[in-house]
Amino acid sequence: MTTAPARHRTENPSLAGRFRPLEPLFKGMLLASLALAVLFLVVLLSYVVTEGWDRLDPRLWENFPSKLYPERAGAQSAIVGTIYVIALTGAFCVPIGVMTAIYLEEYADGSRWWNRMIELNIQNLAGVPSIVYGILGLGVIARGLDLGRTLLTASLTLSLLVLPVVIIAAREAIRAVPGSIRQASLALGATPWQTIARQVLPAAVPGIATGVILALSRAIGEAAPLLLLGAVTHITFNPSGITDSYTVLPIQIFNWTKQPEAEFHTLASAAIVILLFILLAMNSVAIWVRNRYQKRW
Amino acid sequence: MTTTSSRLSTSQGVPVTGRPGGAGPVQPTVVNDAVEGPFDLVDTVFEVADVSVFYGDYEAVRNVDMKIGKRRITAMIGPSGCGKSTLLRCFNRMNDLIPGTRLGGKITFHGEDLYGDHVDPIEVRRRIGMVFQKPNPFPKSIYDNIAYGPRVNGVKRGLDDLVEEALVGAALWDEVKDKLKQNALALSGGQQQRLCIARTIAVKPEVILMDEPCSALDPIATAKIEDLMQNLTRDYTIVIVTHNMQQAARVSHRTAFFTADVDREGVRHGRLVEYDETSKLFTTPSDERTEAYITGRFG
Amino acid sequence: MASASAGSAAGSSLRRSRPRYGEAVIKGLLLAAALVSVATTVGIVASLLPPALRFFGEVGFGEFFGGTEWTPLFKPPSYGVLPLITATLTTTALAISVAVPIGLAAATYLSEYATPRTRKVLKPVLEVLAGIPTVVYGFFALTFFTPLLRDLWPGSGEGPEIFNGLSAGLIMGVMIVPTVASLSEDAMSAVPQSLRQGAYALGSTRRLVSIRVVLPAALSGIVAAIVLAISRAVGETMIVAIAAGLKPEFTLNPLQAMQTMTGYIAAAGEGDLPVASFDYTTIFAVGLLLFVLTFAMNFLSIRLVRKYREVYE
Repeated sequence: MTTAPARHRTENPSLAGRFRPLEPLFKGMLLASLALAVLFLVVLLSYVVTEGWDRLDPRLWENFPSKLYPERAGAQSAIVGTIYVIALTGAFCVPIGVMTAIYLEEYADGSRWWNRMIELNIQNLAGVPSIVYGILGLGVIARGLDLGRTLLTASLTLSLLVLPVVIIAAREAIRAVPGSIRQASLALGATPWQTIARQVLPAAVPGIATGVILALSRAIGEAAPLLLLGAVTHITFNPSGITDSYTVLPIQIFNWTKQPEAEFHTLASAAIVILLFILLAMNSVAIWVRNRYQKRW
Repeated sequence: MTTTSSRLSTSQGVPVTGRPGGAGPVQPTVVNDAVEGPFDLVDTVFEVADVSVFYGDYEAVRNVDMKIGKRRITAMIGPSGCGKSTLLRCFNRMNDLIPGTRLGGKITFHGEDLYGDHVDPIEVRRRIGMVFQKPNPFPKSIYDNIAYGPRVNGVKRGLDDLVEEALVGAALWDEVKDKLKQNALALSGGQQQRLCIARTIAVKPEVILMDEPCSALDPIATAKIEDLMQNLTRDYTIVIVTHNMQQAARVSHRTAFFTADVDREGVRHGRLVEYDETSKLFTTPSDERTEAYITGRFG
Repeated sequence: MASASAGSAAGSSLRRSRPRYGEAVIKGLLLAAALVSVATTVGIVASLLPPALRFFGEVGFGEFFGGTEWTPLFKPPSYGVLPLITATLTTTALAISVAVPIGLAAATYLSEYATPRTRKVLKPVLEVLAGIPTVVYGFFALTFFTPLLRDLWPGSGEGPEIFNGLSAGLIMGVMIVPTVASLSEDAMSAVPQSLRQGAYALGSTRRLVSIRVVLPAALSGIVAAIVLAISRAVGETMIVAIAAGLKPEFTLNPLQAMQTMTGYIAAAGEGDLPVASFDYTTIFAVGLLLFVLTFAMNFLSIRLVRKYREVYE
């Protein structure tokens, strides 16, 4: 019989194994790294909530930004602007993204160089820094197409920015629809498009919706490209059309952060809480859609 | 030859009740002989002439010649990898969907080249339906599953009658008539497969191709499908791929035995070894490879 | 049934029963949509190149890449991009020094140690970290982390300035952890189970299997993750624009304020520079440099990922 102390000695005839100090140490280090990430998240969230707590009141969504009176300042124009920008961005990037995904998954012959180029290009675009999209928006959309620094320019630019995300998510959702469904449809004499429109897309909708919501939540938090597209100016009115000037929450947060006064930092925190709340709501919807409509193939 | 028939009877696990003519599995040839005439008197639906099928550079099926008769059940049997499913999928051009697939030789359908330039594969599939190995109903209601084929073919009126007719034809009507709006995925495996057959006949094809239609089903469900196939021969030509020799012996009029030849470079190619009336192929095969296979010495 | 019998069926029976122009039109539309992303790349190049060429027409490559002063708006202006590059290098190096160890550790834990249940809890945490807008990270770096660093700075030394590369770089590292973790975990999960089983059969411990079997086998995927992480750090804008400062300094000292390439583009783009002005072209010159750098890194990363996919999938 092996006794407990013998376990720590080297020669051990039983299968109990010897104590290897490096094993728990290694595992402990891995866990500590994860714990650090979790801790960071907890600190960040509690910091912005406690910082912004005093200003988390109706002034924030009832009033407009003010540079002189932090106690009166609000973010209504930024909240409304965010909603406009996201709605427009979704309207542009969802059809284009889903159509691209359908083309690549259902029609494109992967052995053709142009189809491979389209794929590679999308992968590359997914890694282009967002500020470069700002330059694109500035050079081509705002100046080239002469749309100016408007809501429309911002939405078009953000659409191009999140397009790769939408495409990649939609492709995954389409790929998850089993091939047997396509074969069944085609064997009944359906055309390729009938098969896609009546079988593949309906089955892929939950996956596509989840991906689209996640892509749009990326667009909501995006500020860098909009810095180049005129969202910086201090906007004290809600946009009423797509050619209006605008601001959005991340830009408003950026502006308040730049102010030296502590009151503005409190405001920025409060606005961050609102922004994170919107993101949380969107992600909850995405998770709900995913769980509710998950297919049982 | 007695070894063959005794093997068939002992390994037979399928209940025989309800079989048309009360034919037991021991004498499958009785059923077949009842409807089978000399092959030359039967109209030819498909004529396969020196057909080879390629996936890219790989030749999956090599130099097959055969004729498939009208309103007959033709079975294709053989070990896995012998190319029987590949050939089946050429009959309604489902192989077109796999990039790099190429056909050598010629398949005609009523004398018309199935791979001719003018031929529309979608039209082909409307005339030549297919039932797959695994039941694959659409994740929709029973009704919508059946109505799908007519709908994509532009039928708008009289769908209710079509659906009923197809379900009756597939011997499923009595089981589902009260729950047509229910999701088809809630049906049992055997019911799903009969639904898939009903879905196929709702398009009113001339031929039904079946790719191992019972391999995912239990014996009782299998027996029902086999009965159904016998009834369907009144209107349809059926080509069935099966890895179950007994099934081929029970249901088919003619049987084609395929095997995989290994060439000098070690590459496998599907070949047609023997094609004959089922009763003859299973009792007096002319090729020793066929005999080896049906007596279980190989495959 | 089936009126068409042999011989009587005309040769046209398998022709298209009705025309289907719609199918071709739809395919064309879908292809057109797919080409939007190609047009995006073309648009990026088209928006960068002409102004950048105008810039390089006046400022030589030697001055641009050799000069240590970046003061385009001063009189006389100086167009040496090195200060922006050293700032980018500093913040990126700091970010990578945080993101790679933590990200790799997280990936190793998730891939080799975690039960399905712990994965289910921990993966969303990383996803949340990836979903927080970068402006929030920037705010946190400037108003929480920098003051904390200054309070805790050991000894009597100066400590970090209000705006500094240290705080921005470290916080950016946390932002990039999910990128490293999720790509590395993909690569580790793609390592075939048989390799691990072989090692376990020889009496290896979990730690040794992780370090000696899985890590080397997943190496190209992990390198791809790190390259992509570098690319993201180089391209990240809001954190450095908020927390690193606006002062282009030719230094690698992270305690100082510094301006990165992205930080300059943001600051210059924010001000409404006249289109016709030469100053306006500086945005595009720096932008082109940024685009070329990140593009090359993304390309490398994609190639590396393909490599491990080819080996194991």
